Amino acid sequence: MELNELTRPVAEYSEEGIDLTLIRWMLSLTPAERLQVLQRFVNSVEEIRSLNAGD
Amino acid sequence: MPATDFLAVIRVLGEHGVDFIVVGGVAAVLAGAPISTFDLDLVHSRKVENVQRLLEALTSLDAYYRLQPERRLRPAASHLLSADHQLLMTRYGPVDLLGAIGQSQGYEELLEHAIEMEAGAGLPVRVLKLDKLIEVKSATAGEKDLAALPILRKTLEEKGRR
Repeated sequence: MELNELTRPVAEYSEEGIDLTLIRWMLSLTPAERLQVLQRFVNSVEEIRSLNAGD
Repeated sequence: MPATDFLAVIRVLGEHGVDFIVVGGVAAVLAGAPISTFDLDLVHSRKVENVQRLLEALTSLDAYYRLQPERRLRPAASHLLSADHQLLMTRYGPVDLLGAIGQSQGYEELLEHAIEMEAGAGLPVRVLKLDKLIEVKSATAGEKDLAALPILRKTLEEKGRR
């Protein structure tokens, strides 16, 4: 389905520019799932770092 | 450089019966804040018997000070009995052991501000509540903390709406 300007979801930011959709997504997860999100992020960064070691 | 594994550290500490509270960035993530961190910050009980269990766990984790890593300096009981911060590297990544945080608040003082969570390690883990974490970070904020504080406050606000 093609989204028009009326139905297109818009990003929602706080006055300070914080992405509220990210906060709500994290809050929808269990603590164990939240930690998995962080662990996967760290793993990815470490993998990229090792691939570029010496640069 | 060892690969970071937050749960593995928590599991080893749990297996050794160490009393500790997760604080810092990992506590914020467990509370639902979308931030990132690379180290595990823990406030440990400084009771003599707990420090002994902690030392055994640290041996199992092959922990040494991150400062001057080539010297492989190991923490001693006297270090862990103090309110100081021990910045360690372990076989599962960086771990900061904090004798006290904020206004000299140690494990005993923070216990009432912690909740038990199932974080995936197969055992409940004590985690500092988000409102207390914000209070501590606000009082002692470095640049990294200052950047994260608005996100923590907004997360607390969103939690309150649920």
